[in-house]
Amino acid sequence: MMESKEKEYITSVGEGIYSINTGDWRINEPVLDQEKCKKCGLCFLYCPVFCIEKKDDYYEINYDYCKGCGICARECKSGAIKMVEKGSSSYAKN
Amino acid sequence: MRETIETLSNNKELISPGISACVGCNVELTLRTVMRVLGPNTIIAIPPGCMGGVGVVGWNKKSGANVPVFFPLLDNTASMLAGIKAYYKKIGRDINVVAFAGDGASVDCGFQSLSGAAERNDNIIYICYDNEGYMNTGYQRSASTTRGAWTSTTPVSKEKVGGKKQHKKDFPMIMAMHDIPYMATASPAYIPDLVNKVKKAMEVKEGLAYIHVLNPCLTGWGIKPNESIEVSRLSVQTRFFPLYEVVNGDFKLTVDIKKPKPVEQYINKIKKFSHLSKDDIEEIQNYVDKKWNKLKMSCVEGGRNDEQ
Repeated sequence: MMESKEKEYITSVGEGIYSINTGDWRINEPVLDQEKCKKCGLCFLYCPVFCIEKKDDYYEINYDYCKGCGICARECKSGAIKMVEKGSSSYAKN
Repeated sequence: MRETIETLSNNKELISPGISACVGCNVELTLRTVMRVLGPNTIIAIPPGCMGGVGVVGWNKKSGANVPVFFPLLDNTASMLAGIKAYYKKIGRDINVVAFAGDGASVDCGFQSLSGAAERNDNIIYICYDNEGYMNTGYQRSASTTRGAWTSTTPVSKEKVGGKKQHKKDFPMIMAMHDIPYMATASPAYIPDLVNKVKKAMEVKEGLAYIHVLNPCLTGWGIKPNESIEVSRLSVQTRFFPLYEVVNGDFKLTVDIKKPKPVEQYINKIKKFSHLSKDDIEEIQNYVDKKWNKLKMSCVEGGRNDEQ
């Protein structure tokens, strides 16, 4: 048992997950056109933050932590992802 | 590729969703991919460097990952993990003990402990993300920096004189020459290849598995965020960074580049090379060709053709 006095010097490792709101960073944000999407999964593989989520038979962008780097739009071979100014898309939550 | 997507989408994310890596950072991509493959039965050590700095090791009593994270010194990562592995072996628990270290902590400062662990056959997985310098402290040069590159310790004058004078240390080959059971090079532009290599590294139960990943640094090298993957791909397609693996001493190219692009294409994308003259680029091209021919001679069989 750890005495209360000891607790002042020794802290348990990890009181939770350290996370910052990187969704705040983006200037432009990706918009995925489901009709043009060929479901190849390249955007899913290359998103550094793993923002693209795989649903059963389609992909969806989770905007919570998206930094807006634009890799998904650049790598998409069918041109289904476009970068638009933040807030101007109806898909994005913010 | 379908298999890779299945693996990655079914496995749980183990790294904090919001870490402060630069926008478009492909080291973050590498770390998340590697951790999804390794799974929760893992202990990871991240020495000082970019991934330590962005908060994966945690901050203010909070942890940046869902698995135990250690924050060793810049030069003792491999030896510390060897001790951790020895303890788990003693209590009879099979666990992945993994280092995720930058090139400073592997190629420069950490080399002595890494070389020692390789020689002692310590069963750890060592992944080096090579961004060619000490990027989180202000882009200083390392032994892994390419010849001619601008860094803050190899500055370039207005007359375009300067840059690093020495060639990049061929570190994957040095590790292969330790006769470790598994050595591989990987690139964030070839994710299925990277996933396969991590899986193979996990299967090694006797001895050290080493994976060297070339990660172009956007802020330090001067690359646009959305070209992050494109530049990584060019590094492979120009034969600048060949993707190969060495299993128990047998060399094999995993991505064979039959028709290489000129190295100039790769160099032109990067601002740190913007001062290079035609002669400098030719010097790098000759070095790349020489290295490729040597590697090709060591390979027992050619790899699959470049698909991307």
